[in-house]
Amino acid sequence: MKNNNRFFQKNIKVLSLILLSVFLSGFSISKQDKSFQNDLEDNQAKPVEISSRVSPETGSDIKDEAQQMPVYGNWETFTVKDGLPADKAYCVRIDGDRVLVGTSAGLAVYENETWKTYTAEDGLAHNGVLSIDVSELTGDVWLGTLGGLTRWSAGRFETFTQFNSGLANDVIYTVICDGKDVWVATGGGAGSYDTYTREWGIYTERNAPMHEPWTYGVCAGGGKIFIAAWGGGVIEYTKETKQFRDYVDPDGEMEIDLFPDDGVIHDITTGVTFADDILWVATYFGLSRYDGTRWKGYLDHDSGLVSNFINFLKADGPVVWLCTDLGLSSFNGETWVTYRKNENNKKGKIIITEGENTKEISSTTSISHEFVIGVDTQDDVVWIATSKGVSRGEILKDLTAGL
Amino acid sequence: MKNQDQKIKLRVLVLTILTMFFLFPVSDLNGQDKKLNYGNTTDELVPYGRFQKAYKNFFDDVQPFTGAGREKVPPTDLTEVRIGFLGPLEGSILTPLGIQMLQGASFAIEEANNKGGYNGIPFKLMPHNDVGLWGAAANEVVKMNDEKVWAFLGSIDDINTHVALRVALKLEIPMVNSGDPDPTLTETRIPWMIRNIADDRQSSYALVNHIYREKKHSRIAVLRANNRYGRVGIMEFRDAALRYGFPLVLEIRYNDGEIDFATQIERMIKSSPDAVVLWGNAKETALIINQMRQMGMEQPVYGSDRLMSKELLEIAGENAEGLVTTCQYNPTLDEPNLVAFNKNYNERYGMEPDVFAAHAYDGMNLIIEAIHKAGLNRALIRDLLTDHKTFQGYQGITGELILDPSWNDIGSIWMTEVRDGKFDFFPTPPLISDEQENKKSTP
Repeated sequence: MKNNNRFFQKNIKVLSLILLSVFLSGFSISKQDKSFQNDLEDNQAKPVEISSRVSPETGSDIKDEAQQMPVYGNWETFTVKDGLPADKAYCVRIDGDRVLVGTSAGLAVYENETWKTYTAEDGLAHNGVLSIDVSELTGDVWLGTLGGLTRWSAGRFETFTQFNSGLANDVIYTVICDGKDVWVATGGGAGSYDTYTREWGIYTERNAPMHEPWTYGVCAGGGKIFIAAWGGGVIEYTKETKQFRDYVDPDGEMEIDLFPDDGVIHDITTGVTFADDILWVATYFGLSRYDGTRWKGYLDHDSGLVSNFINFLKADGPVVWLCTDLGLSSFNGETWVTYRKNENNKKGKIIITEGENTKEISSTTSISHEFVIGVDTQDDVVWIATSKGVSRGEILKDLTAGL
Repeated sequence: MKNQDQKIKLRVLVLTILTMFFLFPVSDLNGQDKKLNYGNTTDELVPYGRFQKAYKNFFDDVQPFTGAGREKVPPTDLTEVRIGFLGPLEGSILTPLGIQMLQGASFAIEEANNKGGYNGIPFKLMPHNDVGLWGAAANEVVKMNDEKVWAFLGSIDDINTHVALRVALKLEIPMVNSGDPDPTLTETRIPWMIRNIADDRQSSYALVNHIYREKKHSRIAVLRANNRYGRVGIMEFRDAALRYGFPLVLEIRYNDGEIDFATQIERMIKSSPDAVVLWGNAKETALIINQMRQMGMEQPVYGSDRLMSKELLEIAGENAEGLVTTCQYNPTLDEPNLVAFNKNYNERYGMEPDVFAAHAYDGMNLIIEAIHKAGLNRALIRDLLTDHKTFQGYQGITGELILDPSWNDIGSIWMTEVRDGKFDFFPTPPLISDEQENKKSTP
């Protein structure tokens, strides 16, 4: 008994230390477990491998590793200092040898390396130009503004508003030309204008399967018109049958996505684009892709999409361009290439993602701002409109992205 | 020796207890940061929560604004600091509410100007009517932008507020909503708006808890307005009732301006409800209650926040006795700031302030304070309004502002019951969980 007591007396301090160590290690292990569990719960965990930091503009190692997607670089930026009427650019449209940019202070046209500005004083419906398209039939430029729709034809501006036309609302978020028809997405519904008959059509919750009257995006393709109906998912209009149908989030809840890939990610849609028989849908909650049979969703935690907050998107063949609040992403169904600014300097960074693998590469030039609002591409060139300036990038010859 | 033994035993005991205390509860300690469900939703009311965990919860985090604008230098030649106002000021059945809202906002502006405005420059309210051609609200927000407002307050109607919010994002104008309880308004992930009034989700949860768990009703018929306020408002109530295991026995509608509800009431009678929920504006609801009593329906009546109105009491009279509604604040509280506001507002406008006046007063004060702190820069004003620090817990005359990650006000709300011709207010009781309910029902 006495020996036992001595044993306890001697070893109680040792025991205390052991237990304290166990406690401390338990605490840290438990912490690690917790964070791991959180990641699993939130589906946020994704290892980012930074295996290369070579400038693509000065001799890149991309070529060796990348075989799929074109990579753009040599970014050139334009702001007020270079002749833009405002730094804030809403949209951009390449029109042959010239580039049209919609800004908060008018339409800017870049031609022969010179910017020229047109404003309400010249005949625009409003200085805030949100959307631009060019008719393939006539070459007319259609401008969606904050105060109506403007047609720029043969040097003359003609304005359509709620008071002199069949427009549903004067805030024109998107305008597109589809043959002889012009389609608009407005704050009070979608609309169409037949430039031959001069007849207007208005599409709202009263005559189309929209939950709400307001619309935000519109595109044409595959004999159909697709409308991004804010709060109502996507409205599909078949031109031949003049029939509507809608695609909404199957779970019916605004605060969640119940299952991935079960339909459009969210009913708050911000844009639609159609190319290569694929419909792409932008939301502030992620990206959706529809091939006519199946939906596929992409979020920032389960794909290379840089941010779920997508301001605008545009498909060009197999590649879709995504204007987000954290940079410009492009995607061809397999490979993601994202263009961002480097926070620490004026250089840019290119992030390439395929499946679970991600690689980040620095570039000597950068997009003008990460809050990207508009994009257009033609041949080997891409133009983007951002919160602070517009940028022009070009394909880095013989370079494609892949991992 | 005995003492020595006891000492050792005591040490071992203390050590064991300490070990148990430190080792085992560690995971529990970490587990205490369990996230609250979105919108104060209890576990049993989470969408699909009994069957499937959502792949993605969209409002667990805050949507930042990453655009440019913070670097803009404030103008130095201003003679007034303009703040926009968007509301139903004419041409709508909501005009009386819009007038109250305008008066509440104006009152806050007047008080701020009496204190010297913004560094000696007076604030000026720029009122805009959101009623008119389709999407009028969108055009009005554009006008506000052209007027160079620094922020704006608006609106009441669901559709107009949604339309305005979308333009506010495009033009990057901070927006405070003080009058639209549509839950979907803040579920758009637009980082340019905060709401300082509780939404219909909170009202629905309070009503469902009261009706099914406290009053033990099981067969509820709903008669609602055939407008967005009625459609979206009842949505959370319907879903919550279903998740409690009580699908509505009937949900039917009436149009604004109707005065004869016999058809709808006959359908309600046939559905044999044991209580009725009415979701709409005060006038029509008062007429419905009168006609229900005339046609022999004596069931208890519950309703939405807009029923807490003098107009309802005047039209329904004694028939309103026992009506239970929700209300986003308690105007009868003996809080000095609230009492002073009620008195001064009455003196200024010759009427009692309503819920829209009170929340507009608080909302406009938020804007004014944000401008004082951030300066004349829209992006910086936005940053302050949405940072979950500066105004989190803000004590307005309508109570404490608690913003969730979507900038929705999830602060506590009140309930009322009409007794002796007056609205009697009582705090919303805590929601009764399934477990508590089962314990209560188990003998």
